[in-house]
Amino acid sequence: MEVCESSKVSLREFGCEQNLLSRPDGSASFVQGDTSVMAGVYGPAEVKVSKEIYDRATLEVLIQPKVGLPTVRERSQEQCIRETCEASLLLSLHPRSSLTLVLQVLHDDGSLLSCFLNAACMALMDAGLPMSCLFCGVTCAINTDGQIITDPTAAQEKESRALMTFAIDCAKRRVLMSSTKGSFSVHELQQCIAVSQKASEKIFQFYRDSVRRRYSKNL
Amino acid sequence: MAGLELLSDQGYRLDGRKATELRKVQARMGVFAQADGSAYLEQGNTRALAVVYGPHEMRGSRSRTLHDRAAINCQYSMATFSTAERKRRPHGDRKSTEMSLHLKQTFEAAIMTQLYPRSQIDIYVKILQSDGGNYSVCVNAATLAVIDAGIPMRDYVCACSVGFVDETPLADLCYAEESVSSLSVALLPRGGQIALLQMDARLHQDHLEALMEAAMTACKGVSKVLDEVVRQHLQEAAVLNVCP
Amino acid sequence: MKDTPLSNCERDFILKAIEEKKRLDGRQTYDFRRIKITFGTDYGCCFVDLGKTRVMAQVSCELVAPKESRPNEGIMFFNIELSPMASPAFEQGRQSELSVKLNRQLERCLRNSKCIDTESLCVVAGEKVWQIRVDVSMLNNDGNLMDAASVAAITALCHFRRPDVGIQGDEVTVYSPEERDPIPLSIYHMPISISFSFFQQGTFLLVDPCEREERVMDGLLMIAMNKHREICSIQSSGGIMLLKEQVMRCSKIAAVKVSEITELISKALLNDRTARKAGGRCGFAESMPQERITALKTDETLMETSDVTERANDIVEKAGAPPQTVPSPLVPAPGVGQVSQGQQNTWGLQEEDEDDDDDDDEQNGKETKMETEPQEEEKGAGDVVEISDSEEEEVVILTSETSGQAKNADSSSHQKRAAASKRRPKK
Repeated sequence: MEVCESSKVSLREFGCEQNLLSRPDGSASFVQGDTSVMAGVYGPAEVKVSKEIYDRATLEVLIQPKVGLPTVRERSQEQCIRETCEASLLLSLHPRSSLTLVLQVLHDDGSLLSCFLNAACMALMDAGLPMSCLFCGVTCAINTDGQIITDPTAAQEKESRALMTFAIDCAKRRVLMSSTKGSFSVHELQQCIAVSQKASEKIFQFYRDSVRRRYSKNL
Repeated sequence: MAGLELLSDQGYRLDGRKATELRKVQARMGVFAQADGSAYLEQGNTRALAVVYGPHEMRGSRSRTLHDRAAINCQYSMATFSTAERKRRPHGDRKSTEMSLHLKQTFEAAIMTQLYPRSQIDIYVKILQSDGGNYSVCVNAATLAVIDAGIPMRDYVCACSVGFVDETPLADLCYAEESVSSLSVALLPRGGQIALLQMDARLHQDHLEALMEAAMTACKGVSKVLDEVVRQHLQEAAVLNVCP
Repeated sequence: MKDTPLSNCERDFILKAIEEKKRLDGRQTYDFRRIKITFGTDYGCCFVDLGKTRVMAQVSCELVAPKESRPNEGIMFFNIELSPMASPAFEQGRQSELSVKLNRQLERCLRNSKCIDTESLCVVAGEKVWQIRVDVSMLNNDGNLMDAASVAAITALCHFRRPDVGIQGDEVTVYSPEERDPIPLSIYHMPISISFSFFQQGTFLLVDPCEREERVMDGLLMIAMNKHREICSIQSSGGIMLLKEQVMRCSKIAAVKVSEITELISKALLNDRTARKAGGRCGFAESMPQERITALKTDETLMETSDVTERANDIVEKAGAPPQTVPSPLVPAPGVGQVSQGQQNTWGLQEEDEDDDDDDDEQNGKETKMETEPQEEEKGAGDVVEISDSEEEEVVILTSETSGQAKNADSSSHQKRAAASKRRPKK
């Protein structure tokens, strides 16, 4: 009943480009299948007095939807991403300063939140901000037959019974953040976490490869 | 607007003017006592009221202070009853914000702001009745108000809108003519310098020169009228001062 | 966040260079930076790179009621969003002077010039028209946002397809792209805005200023024109004094630039159309440069998940089953009703009582069995394949039972009611 078919457990082709914008201190675009997101990081920089925190940096995450103004949905996603980043960034190294992470949706074809997380991590890396660990996002969908689908497309998301996104850290593969929708059993949840941890290995390997490629040439 | 004949075969416009004829301009300076400068101006059916305060110390956020010249603050608004359709006009919609920006830009070019560093000049303009050429009438009214306030300017700033119908440039457009095509120019007539240029029409490039020429001539015409108003006002003021 | 200020020596350096007819990036005075146009996966999405300036435009549509003053015309809505990604000086959701200026210029350039046939967007006069919404987001600001935005907006409009609609009587049906091919908008001409910046009181003129040049310029003149050399809008800004000759010269330069850019746009549109017709994949993912050292791409990856199930089982087992024991109910004094969490409901509800005492007939017993079974299923969920097999058998039995029960449903409810009425006097 809840046995996942191996054919469904795959990640769509993914890619990323770092340092593609000239203005931000760090930028990256992350692509998962057709879903693509662009991220830009500014900071550490001067902070508004009203937002100043005396012992660490203030992190602000902004999501720009493709059409119209940000809605409640974007706000809640911002919150999820902010908490993930706060868990991995060493914010206490930059007290009384501001970090701004801006995420722009370029195309939404499912697994948007995980794509946000991956783009955010790549951009933070590009900005050279100190982090205790890297993180990645994996989205799992459970369809009506009880099969687990990782990295679902928009159509698969629509047909699914439950949708879960996890942020996983690279050090111990622990779950930094989870966002779920729909109904599922404890067992299914554990199964999805296990699948996501598996998938995260692929993504972290990709992070490593792309960074290695980037610094492969010495000046 | 297809059915409307803007220019008759005899060369007369809807309101009986010739192509290059301006509307009747009437103006009064110093209409308010407590403001530093004020003016009321009618150009045909378009009427505007302008008030100037300053130069005075910076108010509001001090971060806008300019250390080498005066900051100019403009606010444009339209009265609820100014158009045929009665309409509440909230502050800060795109069109009026843009108009405020344009006025600010025009007067930054014309006022000798470097004489008043670290200070602020406020210009408030209100359209009481709108019948085309809102921008031009506002500029003309504000010029008189600035002169009334005794703030030195490089020259009069005169603005006028022109349109292009049947290969003929029309000067000083009314509302019906404006909706077809319009080019607004704010001119410092003595040097022939353009402080603001704005066009809202589809026009072939070849006609641009003729149109701009017409606009500049019209602006010079306005400047003559404004000059007369100022002289008249000063004479009256002088007479009042001599025999109190 | 504030923008980084420009130092005085930097300002002097740029101005001095301009006086010597040199520009920071090695361009000539009338040169445009390289324009690159790419399209997104769906219709009406367009990215424009102008040097390092990057802009995205997305066109969307929806059926709305028309404006009262124009009952048979569609509505055009433009919005330029100065995303904080483009520059630290931009703030989210604030109407800055720049955003008003850009938005109005785009409106003037594309709406007032009537380049789009709004009457063709009417579905039912006075009731339903299409509203076409153009969202332009700035991704990176390296100067001359207006030109990039106007190119992106008009290209996205040309690229956009709206769904086809059918009208039967009063009903309007919107066909999905699978049912009927979507329809392109009818566009008469393509106005493109060209910016000129002036330095030293209008002595020097540059086309397509970059961000540094924009910071030291005295004023800006934007001319929007189409390839037929028709001027669609002119707007000067900043405190400069223009002379008529300068305006005329700019309009001549603009005509040349516009024809070049228009050609580029039509070429880009044609390329995209042939790519889409060939069935090739297109979109942002495809347009990502592969050869750059900062970019990397992987193919679809499969994952080894053989031990996932076991791992999940382990964790669930280790965690242990959630405590089944219900906190012992407080025994209320006789005659006291109580409703709260974890406690039994002691309001005189008959149905609950029935479930508790199972001295009733067989039908009732079956009913409770039916209710408990799915719970058991969930508890043993997904352990191994075998269980699911056996469960399936059970399901078969259950269904047969329920069908059998359906017949007796009436009688059983009668009996229940009878039982209930019997018990009532007891309490």
